[in-house]
Amino acid sequence: MMNRKLKSYILNLSAIAILFVIISSLIDSGAINKYYSGILIMIGINVIMTVSLNLTTGFLGELALGHAGFMSVGAFTAGIITKQLSASLGWDAAACLPISLLAGGILAAVMGFLIGVPALRLKGDYLAIITLGFGEILRVIIQNMQITGGASGISRIPRVNNFPITYFIMIAVIVIMFTLGRSRHGRAILSIRENAVAAESTGISVTRYKIFAFTFAAFFAGIAGGLYAHQIGRVSAATFDFNKSIEYLVMVVLGGMGSITGSIIAAAVLTLLPELLREFADYRMLLYSIMLILMMLFRPKGLMGTAEFSLTFVWDRLTGFYKRATKPRPLREHAVTMPDVPNYELAAGAPVLETKNLGIRFGGLQAAENVNLHVNDHEIVGLIGPNGAGKTTVFNMLTGVYLPTEGDIQLLGRSITGKKTYEIVAHGIARTFQNIRLFKSMTVLENIKVAFHTRMHYTPVSGIFRLPKYTREERGIDLRARELLRVFNMEESAETRADGLPYGQQRKLEICRALATNPKVLLLDEPAAGMNPIETRELMETIGIIRNRFNVAVLLIEHDMKLVMGICERIYVLNYGRIIAEGSPSDIRNNPEVIRAYLGHSDRDTKPVKEGEANGNA
Amino acid sequence: MVLFLNQLINGLGTGAIYALIALGYTMVYGIVKLINFAHGDIMMVGSYTAVLLMVNVGVPFPIALMASMFVCVFFGVLIERVAYKPLRDAPRICSLITAIGVSYLLQNSAQLLFSANPKPFPPVFSVAPITFGGVSISFVTLVTVLVSVLLMVGLNLFVMKSRTGKAMRAVSEDMGAAKLMGINVNMTISTTFAIGCALAGIGAFLYCIAYPSVAPTMGAMPGLKAFIAAVLGGIGILPGAMLGGFIMGVAESLTKGFVSTQLSDAVVYGILIVVLLFKPSGLLGKAQREKV
Repeated sequence: MMNRKLKSYILNLSAIAILFVIISSLIDSGAINKYYSGILIMIGINVIMTVSLNLTTGFLGELALGHAGFMSVGAFTAGIITKQLSASLGWDAAACLPISLLAGGILAAVMGFLIGVPALRLKGDYLAIITLGFGEILRVIIQNMQITGGASGISRIPRVNNFPITYFIMIAVIVIMFTLGRSRHGRAILSIRENAVAAESTGISVTRYKIFAFTFAAFFAGIAGGLYAHQIGRVSAATFDFNKSIEYLVMVVLGGMGSITGSIIAAAVLTLLPELLREFADYRMLLYSIMLILMMLFRPKGLMGTAEFSLTFVWDRLTGFYKRATKPRPLREHAVTMPDVPNYELAAGAPVLETKNLGIRFGGLQAAENVNLHVNDHEIVGLIGPNGAGKTTVFNMLTGVYLPTEGDIQLLGRSITGKKTYEIVAHGIARTFQNIRLFKSMTVLENIKVAFHTRMHYTPVSGIFRLPKYTREERGIDLRARELLRVFNMEESAETRADGLPYGQQRKLEICRALATNPKVLLLDEPAAGMNPIETRELMETIGIIRNRFNVAVLLIEHDMKLVMGICERIYVLNYGRIIAEGSPSDIRNNPEVIRAYLGHSDRDTKPVKEGEANGNA
Repeated sequence: MVLFLNQLINGLGTGAIYALIALGYTMVYGIVKLINFAHGDIMMVGSYTAVLLMVNVGVPFPIALMASMFVCVFFGVLIERVAYKPLRDAPRICSLITAIGVSYLLQNSAQLLFSANPKPFPPVFSVAPITFGGVSISFVTLVTVLVSVLLMVGLNLFVMKSRTGKAMRAVSEDMGAAKLMGINVNMTISTTFAIGCALAGIGAFLYCIAYPSVAPTMGAMPGLKAFIAAVLGGIGILPGAMLGGFIMGVAESLTKGFVSTQLSDAVVYGILIVVLLFKPSGLLGKAQREKV
């Protein structure tokens, strides 16, 4: 069988070439007149806009309401540069085009960066409003600047844009979006949409990738703006208002948020439709709005959802290869190599993780106080306590989700207090969550690959152009991710969507994902919650296997006493944010203070109780 | 100083209208977490109702006001039932897009029915402005500010004290739990839309008195600004909407008076961005952290 990747390259390249030859020969022969070729070019420009907006709204999952603002920046920058260069220096306008387009893109990217920075603090609707406000500010400023011609804008920009230029830039943008989406950077962006907290906890800097996505999207919007300016020949800021941004948003949503091919189709249809409905101009917008409402009511995921149209798939179907192509690839037979284990030096007897007088105060509430705990090399330690005792709060401090107000956390003798969550992951603390936080609509394999992020090093450029470094690292990661899944007997589910797994498997996948970050300490937050006794027993075995195979120390929160007493070597008991007892399972079982914390107390039952009696009293 | 005071008073007048519309936005957002983009267009519907009744039929203004409130409520509840309710469990962006669709639908229907040409709104009050040494307060401004403050206070009391208000707050906290406590969630949401739209009806009237021209797209800009006012004050919080509305109105008016008319929008958005950067949930909003 031919290499599938090569086949898809050949197929797609020939489709691109054939489409180009057909359209440009139709234009040259006059079969498509100037009016219609203008519409085709507008489709190209709108495709660039929609595909780039899809990066922020579809892939990153942040609603952006000011995309037209970036287009405007690109249009004015490019227009002014070409006009100046060709008029004052006498340059050929067409030769100026690459420079001015690039300049427009870069200035728009700078604006995108500026708006990405507020993303540090905001999310959801508030971020959406910031993008709206920023877009409008751009418009007003452009309308009031001398250089941009004030309210009337600038005109007589050399109209040097043509179909081939637009077509190839459009193709380039589409290809870049596709390859970016399949690189580690694209996976990072997707994982933020799926679950920002989990993404941060697998080592991804949410802030950095948000800014990256905004900047990147703005760059392409700027290029599209430049093309627009050189196509129409005049630009005025009023064109790029809020309504224009909404128009592009509608295209993204109709095509399907997260689907690049959906964006392409929607941009083409929604650019063509108004032209076709020109005869019914009065009713055009009315129809358009009714269509929008009906579409949302009956197909809210958009045309394509998050799926992509694949030429290779169609080709395989047509040529009968389909059956062979979709047959599950035989799992490559390879000996399960020892998964990489964390490599560190530890002085004899020194703990891996240690907290010193750790505490946190939320307003007037002291949620944790004077927490002194340590986890030794290779040890399984339990953290128990009644509901609301502050166990998860301790985990949140250890992983940098909360900043402790007192005390210090040391990993391998070095303080990690005040570090960001994703930095702490890189230092070697990984965690799972009480309520499962998987990247739901990504496959099991992709979930694991996201967690390999910190251990890969190729740049976005390598990812986009698929340079050797990208290929090498991705191949290695693919193998290692599959190996990891095999350790947990999950290799067959590699291509299943994470939310399609049964509950117990989802918990396992979360542990697996945490291990993929190569931790020194693994924090498990109620791993047995919601499991039946059989699943719990399996989990106990799994935790043992993890400790031995991956050479990690484990700190776990759990209410299932059978599990805690069964596998933990030491146990801390937390109550009202303080550690009230520490010791071996049998010590803890007979500690009167612990019993009091769990069962309450009266004068009668302060004496130590044996296990059976404790159950009876409960 | 005189100019400053005059601009300040003008700003309070505009701000009061923003605040009234913002109240509707904030109530709807508070309960269904939907940015109801069509809210400004509901105001437009109310304005057309009023202008048609007063000019073409010759109805006196109190009756026209009642009628336009009624029409606003009717449209608001209808839109909620037909377009938003089926999407209550869908991703939030779906209902947002639908709201944009509804907004376009209302604007374009109005354009087909009444043409794009603005209709003049008849004068309602012909009382001379009150002047204190150069500072003049028009009767309209006075009424507008008074009405909107009274409505805000009344609404706040209603939401905090009445049974329906309690139901609204419960639904906004947790729709499922409210249902289990025997609250009729659909009814409560419809009531919220109804109240918000009635306020838009009053807002429409005051807006038309201040800017006497009615056009299909007249609702878009004040709608957007009112929404921003709601966010500025902390969306979902009634006094916040009022505060946000007044800040927007005054900032806009002072910029127009002392800096430049064109830049006033930029200043308003700038204030919004700065506020959100330092207080991400608005001026009166409480910070919410995601539970991990």
